[in-house]
Amino acid sequence: MRHLIIGASAAGLNAAKTLRHLDPNAEITILSKDEVIHSRCVLHHYLKGKRDLAGLNFVGQDFITEQKLNWKKGVQVTKVDTGKSEVALADGSVVGYDKLLLAAGSSTAFPAGIKNLREAKSGVLGFRNINDAQAIKELAGQANVQNIVVMGAGLVGVDAVDGLLGFGKNISLVESFSHILNRQLDMRAARPYEQAFAMAGVKQYYGTKITELVLDDAGAVKQAELGSGIRIPCDLFIVTSGIKPNVGFLEGSGIALGQTGLDFDGYGKTNIENVFGAGDISGRSPIWPAAVKEGIIAAYNMVGRPLEQTDFFASKATMNFQSVATMSLGLPESPDDSYTVEVDEDQAGNYKKIIHKNGEIVGAIVQGDLSYAGILTQLIREKIDVSKIKKPLFKVDYSDFFGEFVF
Amino acid sequence: MNRDTIKKREISGRIKVDRDKCIGCLGCMSACIVSHDGHSPRNRVVISSDKVSSPIFCQNCDLPECTYTCMCGAMHIDPATGFVLYDADQCGSCYMCVMGCPYGVLRMNKIDGKISKCDMCVSDRNGQPQCVDRCPMGAIAVERGVQA
Repeated sequence: MRHLIIGASAAGLNAAKTLRHLDPNAEITILSKDEVIHSRCVLHHYLKGKRDLAGLNFVGQDFITEQKLNWKKGVQVTKVDTGKSEVALADGSVVGYDKLLLAAGSSTAFPAGIKNLREAKSGVLGFRNINDAQAIKELAGQANVQNIVVMGAGLVGVDAVDGLLGFGKNISLVESFSHILNRQLDMRAARPYEQAFAMAGVKQYYGTKITELVLDDAGAVKQAELGSGIRIPCDLFIVTSGIKPNVGFLEGSGIALGQTGLDFDGYGKTNIENVFGAGDISGRSPIWPAAVKEGIIAAYNMVGRPLEQTDFFASKATMNFQSVATMSLGLPESPDDSYTVEVDEDQAGNYKKIIHKNGEIVGAIVQGDLSYAGILTQLIREKIDVSKIKKPLFKVDYSDFFGEFVF
Repeated sequence: MNRDTIKKREISGRIKVDRDKCIGCLGCMSACIVSHDGHSPRNRVVISSDKVSSPIFCQNCDLPECTYTCMCGAMHIDPATGFVLYDADQCGSCYMCVMGCPYGVLRMNKIDGKISKCDMCVSDRNGQPQCVDRCPMGAIAVERGVQA
């Protein structure tokens, strides 16, 4: 059996490993633009110099040989021919398959609404992969780059800011919502991060949008204009406001797209027989654990062992910036007054909030010491009724569900 | 993902807990601390709403959420033993594993910001889980030769 995987990150490599576990004799080929295996979630450690290229590898240095994989790196897939069961590469060659997994991930979306963003010849980058990180690192090290503007204060944007602190540059963070990491944090949990970054010299603009980039004659970025009309100096503009799935190469293939990206079901199946999907290419749940699980699930179904995705709880994250750790699950704010919101905080910087209704937790924030907090993820994911628990919700642990679930 | 439909891995043993035998003496926690150079215990005993002492231990899951959530490859399945082991050097202290652990057994170590994770005492000179050896009630046992 010839398995072909497009993409060598969380989804693709976990699929490859699972395929090898299930079929020791399968021929497994991976095609990727990536030339090095790297975790996109720790690029800020690379920027900081805390982690080198090898340190970004999340599967082990000998993964490809250990798993007996055929990896064609640095290649671009331009076309999928599902009739002939082969894919075409930019160099003109073709690779055939029996089963195909599309795990090509996503890329930075450069919004069309910002004047000159797409026209800029230099100084505009995303922060999505190692190429971006290397380019940013090089530019941030140059003397003529003094002002860096990061657009989007989500996890990726804050990663970028965090990674750039040591370069001694003027950093501005611009976000259209009211506070940092608004998808994960309420105002209270956002405060320690906003304060820590302010202390580190980061200028933060919330509730405002970038409307225009001002370019010089050579097309290099010089200034960024905010909605208020203020122009801030900018030699490097980093876009971290959103992503788009890498589905361009599927055009004309007959493989169906959904509203957000590649469409596949709980078994990883697309509309075409023998073609599967996993990870960010769906544009649905762009988080690491979802990509890993979808890769594993697709692999099972590629070898004909039905395995279904059952975990659709993807609005969850942890973060650790400036020595403040936070876990965020579900809703950061109560949707309306019918929910009970419980808050617990102390002087040591621990802040906890749980939002619940009729025994069901719908959101939780834990900041400070996250120890043992994983039980909350399980309670939310499985919609476990917590009304029978006689101790404070903040003290909830597995003892009240002993033996009720097994992983 | 269903535990019953996946292809199980070979695993050298798993901790089994008989909660009815536990008297809450915390000997297992002390043993864990001693066995790991005085660092935070990787297990714990908590009291349920019904006042029952409940030892909570890493289960080396068939579907280990901590490995799925780990973005650095620090949490991994050891091919030799089948145990879910943790590589502190590779760890990025992102705490995704703490979030992922459905039993809520993982904790962050305040001193170095790393994770306290059961290693089945592979690093201990006695070569087997010390919590099991030190439990006076036989409430904790290793199920050997489990093909989970």
